[in-house]
Amino acid sequence: MKPAFSIIFFTVSSGAGLGLLALIALVDMLAHGVLPNYALWRGALLGLGLVAAGLASSVLHLANPRNAWRSMVRVRTSWLSREAVAALALFAVVAAYVLLLTGDTGGAPRVLLAWATCVLAWAVLVCTAMIYASLKPIRQWHTRWTPANYLLLGHWSGALLLAAIACAYTTHAGALLALAALLGALALAAKLAYWQAIGAGMPALTLERAIGVAEGVRGAGPLSVAHARLLDVGHSHGTFLTREFGFVVARRHARTLRVVALVLGFGVPLAWLVAGIASWPAALGAVGSCIIGLLIERWLFFAEARHTVRLYHGDPRT
Amino acid sequence: MKLGLLIDLDTCVGCHACAIACKEWNASSHVSGALSDYEPFGAEPSGVWFNRVRHYEVGDYPASKTINFPLSCMHCADADCVSVCPTGASYRRADGIVLVDQDKCMGCNLCAWACPYGARELDTVSGTMKKCTLCVDRIYDVMLAPEDRQPACVLACPTHARLFGDFDDPNSDVSRLASERAGFGLMPELGYAPVNRYLPPRQPQPVLGEDDPRALLERGLASLASPVIRR
Repeated sequence: MKPAFSIIFFTVSSGAGLGLLALIALVDMLAHGVLPNYALWRGALLGLGLVAAGLASSVLHLANPRNAWRSMVRVRTSWLSREAVAALALFAVVAAYVLLLTGDTGGAPRVLLAWATCVLAWAVLVCTAMIYASLKPIRQWHTRWTPANYLLLGHWSGALLLAAIACAYTTHAGALLALAALLGALALAAKLAYWQAIGAGMPALTLERAIGVAEGVRGAGPLSVAHARLLDVGHSHGTFLTREFGFVVARRHARTLRVVALVLGFGVPLAWLVAGIASWPAALGAVGSCIIGLLIERWLFFAEARHTVRLYHGDPRT
Repeated sequence: MKLGLLIDLDTCVGCHACAIACKEWNASSHVSGALSDYEPFGAEPSGVWFNRVRHYEVGDYPASKTINFPLSCMHCADADCVSVCPTGASYRRADGIVLVDQDKCMGCNLCAWACPYGARELDTVSGTMKKCTLCVDRIYDVMLAPEDRQPACVLACPTHARLFGDFDDPNSDVSRLASERAGFGLMPELGYAPVNRYLPPRQPQPVLGEDDPRALLERGLASLASPVIRR
């Protein structure tokens, strides 16, 4: 699949923002007092800003953005529609929640809005992931590891942001650093499991299956079980299909990029967490490294996905 | 109703007439608007097509066969391109035809990602997704003679390798042929229930070896006949 930067930035930015929002709401409800009130609402605003930047970027991906407002009408079947509705609801809820936080109002409304923020942030994350996981023609996406990755990577980058906020506003950030380290380890495990899953053992479709000659052609003869190859693709230059689905990343480069993504996305920030340097400039460095690492990871998520259309263009298997 | 196409891979000669006829009819159709061409007279012409013909070789020489393979929308009964569409622009009609409402599409490409066959193409000029309409503006047009109420690709095919009909009607030509000649849908394992059917190619005739008695006979007959022919 073509790695479109607008979508890569969207999923990484809004993923981090959603993870941050969910964790802030959870900290507010379950560990009240760990973070001062002004840290909570500033963090929530940052999270909302990241989600907004991501959504704005996703609109850039549309070829006809004038009709973007229509994207909320098919919630019964479309994960993209569900995502749009959940994101809109999230904006309204978080805006109200931030207002309560700035006034340091306690009580039932704050608890209710905190829960709503958390649940909606999870909902948007799941919807984003399911847009990809529900696509049957792309076996590298149509796996349960896709939603697991999106959820955990969003929470991992969000937890790093929260740790950075804790470093900036409190002197006792230890618990939040430990939470970030735990989520980092889980996200790393999920990413490695995803790469393991798409690398081996998943049933692939073949060119023979795609053109219907896998069980041989009609009648007795030498082609009872045939294999096929492309003779001529039929078009002289690129088409929408080759531009959208034809992207290939060399296996060697993919391996190198995976290592870079692991080092920047997990190695550097985890090393910072383990070292326990609770200073906010160091925290910002760790966050920056993680975001760059996740941008590379998301680029690979697209670049390594192979759509079944590629079979018709001559790929022997997906 | 399940309107669709039946494509005979045994008789298709890969001339691309169906693709050209499709482009010609639909480029001036009001259903999808113009089918944009990009740099049509430039060094690398490209554009939107509803139907593309590709060519494959099946088996190994001498037991090999060329298969010409036209591919357009399968008008799936369980079409994910319709269910993933967030705007409601993609829809499936009661007669089985899957269409895109050009006024509603926002060009997000998700339906093209959901289609395993590559039957949908984004028109970057209009910013909307376009696809085979099964010539919905021909097949119901009572101003046309009854024999002309068929998709342009079917009418253009010089070898009658394409047929149009209702696959829900067991007595239709397409249903009968599909069941007689083991017609198949593409990649049924993905669960889209494609409606279009392909008739499989026949077994290839292997190329005869030098010492094969039939080859010797052929050469002998040819040497007998050639003095007569050349006279």
